[in-house]
Amino acid sequence: MANINTGAQDRTFDAIVIGSGISGGWAAKEFTEKGLKTLVLERGRDVKHLKDYPTTNMYPWEFKHRGQIPEAIKEEAPVVSRCYAFKEDAMHFFVKDKEHPYEQDKPFDWIRGYQVGGKSLLWARQTQRWSDYDFEGPARDGFAVDWPIRYADIAPWYSYVEKFVGISGNKDGLDNLPDGEFLPAMEMTAVEKYFQGFVSKNYKDRNVIYGRCAHLSEPQPIHIEQGRVKCQKRNLCQRGCPFGGYFSSNSSTLPWAEKTGNLTLRPDAVVHSIIYDEQKGKATGVRVVDAKTKETTEYYARVIFVNAAAINSNLILLNSTSSRFPQGLGNDSGVLGKYFAFHNYRATIYADYDGFMDVTTEGRRPTSAYIPRFRNVKKQETDFLRGYAAGFDTGRRKWNSQDGVGTSLKDQLFNEEMGNWYVGSHMMGETIPKEISQLTLDKAKKDEWGMPVIHINLGYDDNDEKMIKDFHEQMTEMYTKAGFTNIRTGDSKQAPGLDIHEMGGARMGKDPKTSVLNKWNQMHDVKNVFVTDGACMTSTSTQNPSLTYMALTARAVDYAVGQMKRGDL
Amino acid sequence: MLVNRRTALKQVLVVSAGLALLPSCLRKTTPASITLKNIAVDGEGENMLALLADTLIPTTSTPGAKDVKAHLFALTMVDDCFKKDDQQKWLTGMKAFSALSEKNNGKSFGDSTPEARKTLLELLEKSKPEDGEAAYFYHATKRLIVQGYTNSEYYLTKVQVYELVPGRFYGSVPVKPAGRKTA
Repeated sequence: MANINTGAQDRTFDAIVIGSGISGGWAAKEFTEKGLKTLVLERGRDVKHLKDYPTTNMYPWEFKHRGQIPEAIKEEAPVVSRCYAFKEDAMHFFVKDKEHPYEQDKPFDWIRGYQVGGKSLLWARQTQRWSDYDFEGPARDGFAVDWPIRYADIAPWYSYVEKFVGISGNKDGLDNLPDGEFLPAMEMTAVEKYFQGFVSKNYKDRNVIYGRCAHLSEPQPIHIEQGRVKCQKRNLCQRGCPFGGYFSSNSSTLPWAEKTGNLTLRPDAVVHSIIYDEQKGKATGVRVVDAKTKETTEYYARVIFVNAAAINSNLILLNSTSSRFPQGLGNDSGVLGKYFAFHNYRATIYADYDGFMDVTTEGRRPTSAYIPRFRNVKKQETDFLRGYAAGFDTGRRKWNSQDGVGTSLKDQLFNEEMGNWYVGSHMMGETIPKEISQLTLDKAKKDEWGMPVIHINLGYDDNDEKMIKDFHEQMTEMYTKAGFTNIRTGDSKQAPGLDIHEMGGARMGKDPKTSVLNKWNQMHDVKNVFVTDGACMTSTSTQNPSLTYMALTARAVDYAVGQMKRGDL
Repeated sequence: MLVNRRTALKQVLVVSAGLALLPSCLRKTTPASITLKNIAVDGEGENMLALLADTLIPTTSTPGAKDVKAHLFALTMVDDCFKKDDQQKWLTGMKAFSALSEKNNGKSFGDSTPEARKTLLELLEKSKPEDGEAAYFYHATKRLIVQGYTNSEYYLTKVQVYELVPGRFYGSVPVKPAGRKTA
């Protein structure tokens, strides 16, 4: 950092945003658009849209191992190697285990992307809204604490972010999965449409829909203005998209923020802690360790947004101790780091279908169909709490027989055979945040930036096991009735974390005694600190969470700026 | 019946890998054309793999596996992407494969006639990977050579065209009867 010796004035901003991923990018966009001088701190290296996507235009044969990860890397980084997207074409966007150690009290596969844009480069781009059936879950079923907001609070902000992000979807008219501001949907396959019709005809409250996703199926002027164009259905999103066809901080919010002239982006800046001033009764800035030189610098601002991704946001808050907050910033309640949760992605179910043999698919599709939660939506009806959504994907089997030797083998490799359809689904289960599911700091063990190593204590419980069983039973029944054959259920037994949907630790709530953040994502105890990434989540529901983080972030910035203008912050 | 045939086949495939060591000790070795970090395969081994690739997917009016260097891809994959145990199994299997050629054809794989090479591969084709050292080597290598061939620039631009930018997805299009491509 070149300005280490410059005066405090040069290190003072209106707002500081910790993290440049999907929620940090939104905080940056909103603050800078509203005219605030904003510093975005990113612990990883810089990744510029277009310029820093080294593999994006590579053909399959240009990869030395055709996509596979070499054994030496797998041995050195077993955790990240278990991630589905950690392949030769995108491995430069993932943290390797050794580089950033953590302690697993129970197995936890922590998947991280330390770079400008964070995991927004790598996400699966599914964007489903929450409904009141989700927000009301904890209160109705008696776990965690009541959410301090309802659908009506966030609905306009969903619309606000959806228009800018660009969401491809259908208006399905479902009260458990509200419609949004949609660009046209991409096509469903013949078998998906068949199953959609079959399910809606045979089950009162179950639906199969096209999964809403952050792809520009038909760019609007606001997207063109961002420099993004139509999704080309390459299905190579994890490499970074040269078309900006899907939403990422790199392609969208960060360049937008930069254009305002109000953005200062500082990569390689590891936030050590937030500085609390007892006299002023608020946070005044952050301590930053340079990732490379290890030098410490302080930056100051009137308001601080914590968007470091759920686990690291907890780590920073827990590490921000003072005589006023010996247990971590804003932690008078003692719940900081607790009630951590995730999504249960263990269960799958595959089958075959012999119908529609006269048709097939053509091209590629970067998304799939989706089955919204149908269990326990309106009332409790099973022996487990909450429920699951499911991805649903089908396609026609095509292959080349590899039998034989010589010209007969070669002939087969030249001539593709076509089989029946495959049908596949994976469960996305809600997990219950519990006090014992928590993040703690190992004060005795520090990483090379002087940060205490984080302990992650998270596991499956009986509710999760019952849910897996139910998913297998219900889906088997639906598959069987629909005429799918060769049904195969699976349980990967994967550790929590591989879902990459870790949530909680600094949960929102009405009562400062039992929660960390209020209904504006503002710390109850430190009014000028906001947390709007996964750490804020009171419960997890089943939806892919990024859209909700984005909406909460835009809403919180709007509130914070309003408070600043009134002089309350 | 099947079990008996398999047992018989296994006996045919059993060779002492040591047999193959002797001739190579007497020869001067040349290094392989690519740098290998984990496995010891010399130029002679590489040539044998090239011939194996060429026997599996021969050059006809169109390029074969050797032409697109699928054998070098196979070597790279064994060197980088195989677990240590599997690398050893593959190397042992490679010697057993050489020995099997000496036993069945009276000649090294390289010195055998194209017909004799093909006959040897056809014999191994009937085996399963667990039927012995040579069988393991054959099936692992074949899989990699087929992968290397079907992921080669030639194959993905001339045979099964890979589109980097398809720009479309149709969920239901009629299946068209495809004319057979000449391999």
